[in-house]
Amino acid sequence: MTSSGRTIVACLLGFSSATAAAFATHDGATERPSMPAAQQASFNRDIAPILFRYCAPCHRPGEAGPFPLLTYADAKARARQIAALTSKRFMPPWLPEPQELRFADELRLSDEQITLIQKWVEQGAVEGAPADLPPAPQFVPGWQLGRPDEIIEAEKPYTLPASGSDMYWNFIFRTPVDRTRWLKAIEIRPGDKRVVHHANILVDRNQSARRQEAESRAGFPGMELKIESENFDPDSHFLFWKPGTVPKPEPESMSLRLDKDTDLVLNIHLQPSGKPEKIQPNLGLYFTDKPATHFPLLLQMENDKKLDIPAGEKRFLVTDEFTLPVDVDLLAIYPHAHYLGKDLQALATLPDGSAKTLIHIPQWNLNWQAVYHYADPVPLPKGTTISMRYVYDNSSQNLANPNDPPRRVAAGNRSSDEMAHLWLQVLPRTSSNADFDPRMLLQESMARHNLEKNPADFEAHYNLAAMLQARGAQAEAIQNFELALRLRPQDATANNALGAALLAAGRISEAMPYLNAALRAQPDNFDAHYNLASALVSQDKFLEAIEHYRAAVRLHPDDANAEANLGSALAETGQLSEAKLHFRRALRIDPNHKLARENLEQINSDPKNLQQ
Amino acid sequence: MHRSSLTSQHLLSIFLSLAAAALLLLVLPCSLAAQKTALHLDGTPADPFLAASGKPVVLIFLRTDCPISNRYAPLLQQISSRYGAKVALWLVYPSRTSSAEKIRQHEHDYGYKLPALRDPQHALVTQAQVQVTPEAAVFDANHRLLYHGRIDDLYQDSGRARPAATTHELDDAIRAALSGKTPPPNAPGVGCYIADLE
Repeated sequence: MTSSGRTIVACLLGFSSATAAAFATHDGATERPSMPAAQQASFNRDIAPILFRYCAPCHRPGEAGPFPLLTYADAKARARQIAALTSKRFMPPWLPEPQELRFADELRLSDEQITLIQKWVEQGAVEGAPADLPPAPQFVPGWQLGRPDEIIEAEKPYTLPASGSDMYWNFIFRTPVDRTRWLKAIEIRPGDKRVVHHANILVDRNQSARRQEAESRAGFPGMELKIESENFDPDSHFLFWKPGTVPKPEPESMSLRLDKDTDLVLNIHLQPSGKPEKIQPNLGLYFTDKPATHFPLLLQMENDKKLDIPAGEKRFLVTDEFTLPVDVDLLAIYPHAHYLGKDLQALATLPDGSAKTLIHIPQWNLNWQAVYHYADPVPLPKGTTISMRYVYDNSSQNLANPNDPPRRVAAGNRSSDEMAHLWLQVLPRTSSNADFDPRMLLQESMARHNLEKNPADFEAHYNLAAMLQARGAQAEAIQNFELALRLRPQDATANNALGAALLAAGRISEAMPYLNAALRAQPDNFDAHYNLASALVSQDKFLEAIEHYRAAVRLHPDDANAEANLGSALAETGQLSEAKLHFRRALRIDPNHKLARENLEQINSDPKNLQQ
Repeated sequence: MHRSSLTSQHLLSIFLSLAAAALLLLVLPCSLAAQKTALHLDGTPADPFLAASGKPVVLIFLRTDCPISNRYAPLLQQISSRYGAKVALWLVYPSRTSSAEKIRQHEHDYGYKLPALRDPQHALVTQAQVQVTPEAAVFDANHRLLYHGRIDDLYQDSGRARPAATTHELDDAIRAALSGKTPPPNAPGVGCYIADLE
């Protein structure tokens, strides 16, 4: 077949399938486009409204679209392209199928709109009467939410090579706050939007990602990130950017806490453009005076352990099911798989037996992954079972398959590995029992659920133990920390946590070996130095305790407790002038520090100490 | 008598129609050449075949604002270095509205060190039978069209790219042009429709 014949066939096919779709939705009735059949489709009347709403947010100068779609000339020079890509539903990019639960900002064209575009092109892509042209869309230039209160820029740019496969890069932003602040929004400006496919911020409250930087402050590669948290401090907000994103401030009651020394890690997905591209993202921080009063939680469902997909397998099914232990409102959903993902679905089965599709993506495409916010919160009562149902295609028919020929693929963090994750942002319904945080029950249930799936899940044991410890179930907490440590005997965080739990239970001599092990694994572990020092103090080993408090103070010079305790240990050994220095430092950090104030007053009031 | 006179008439008419066809063939290329031509960036008429002097000619069709053709820049530069002076390789920009200045800037941005032509009248587009950017056309030393179509199979559809190409049609076609072996079958490219530029 000649090339010219080929194009005509392609165009006709595109048209007829779109028409067929239109017929199908009308249940066999005559097709009714939004204008009389005899009338000619025109840009001004029929096409401009579609382009202005669905395309122009990205297809305008400075945005992600590779060319503008703002005028008749723009559209005319792309007419067949527009017709072909809309009929395949490749553009505008919107992966979920239509469903009863609506999403905010749905970017899906109707079958009628697609047919209309086809017709316009077929009829010669005419401009039409000037009076029919709607006003051009208005866009806010620069920062979408206005001038941010604080702008932080990545310290070093990353240069994306001209060619090669997709790249994932992580920038670590040191936050500029010197005390705890509350954020109503973070706006992500990822750099050149034509090469950035998506970006995601992770809140790193323990600066744990810094350890992955080969060169300090240069960032590091990697598609998936593990952020460590030593306290119960679950992720609560999706901080996600994709092309066309207009950031929305969080509801006032749901501001995001930002502490001093918290890092924001920006994970970005880049696609080479043909020329080297320098990427240096900016974050705009918008503060609020209103601390959060409602605390959403990101629930993660997953079943990575089941991901062991034979080469050539076309339909490999992975599922997970989780039953909610409390009433929640579902606010947003984020399905995540890598390149073998094909059909991604999540379903909720309510206690009354009714079922709701939460999301269904029949043609997964990692390049267009997104966080989907529901137009209205979805109430899911206690006892609702959420099912994740993902199908993977590891055959050579899956064009995105990173392996040629296909090979066995298991779960992992590299883009050539696979993942089966479903994140849900839920807001637990507040109960009358106000001193109980329902998020902890959710976390505890999730940890227990994960242990059912995988009894060797280190994190599940650790998280379960942390929840138990927090609600005072000490014995079971210690037991689960021990199980976690059996899986990773060298883990500094778990050794310290078990040591701390034993300390809290008064089992000091049993705690010591774990705290020492934590320091062997990670000599700069602040918590382990601090806890070990406390243990040594309770055994009256003040000189040794002083050494560990000194190490703790060196690691966290702004920690008032470490300063005050160092002062106390020094005072115990009679080193009063140095003790006073550290009490004063503690009071400079926290003027209300009770221990430091009382000890300092006691030293100063004792006439024996006057000469010191 | 009847028979032979009929025969001779018949023969005559065939001969005449052949002559007419030959005449048309002679006239058409001349009139095409007079009406439609590619241009050098300085605006003078360009004929990449005339300049090739017995070498295979490779035309690569690009658009400055086509993200798919742009992504091929490093590969095209590599292919050009691989064959060097053995082939005459040209970048062809079929857009009517892309100025020479814009094309020079595009070449600079994407690191192209290749000669470029403008083809606003689509003279080369027609000759090469290409439909989208990026597509390539490879002509042998006698300027016979051996291959036209995609550079490789990196893209199966817009937005559906493989991690790496598994076929390499342009490279195969150039080798075929140099060795006289069979070129790969024509395969349609994925990218931006040239017809949109008409």
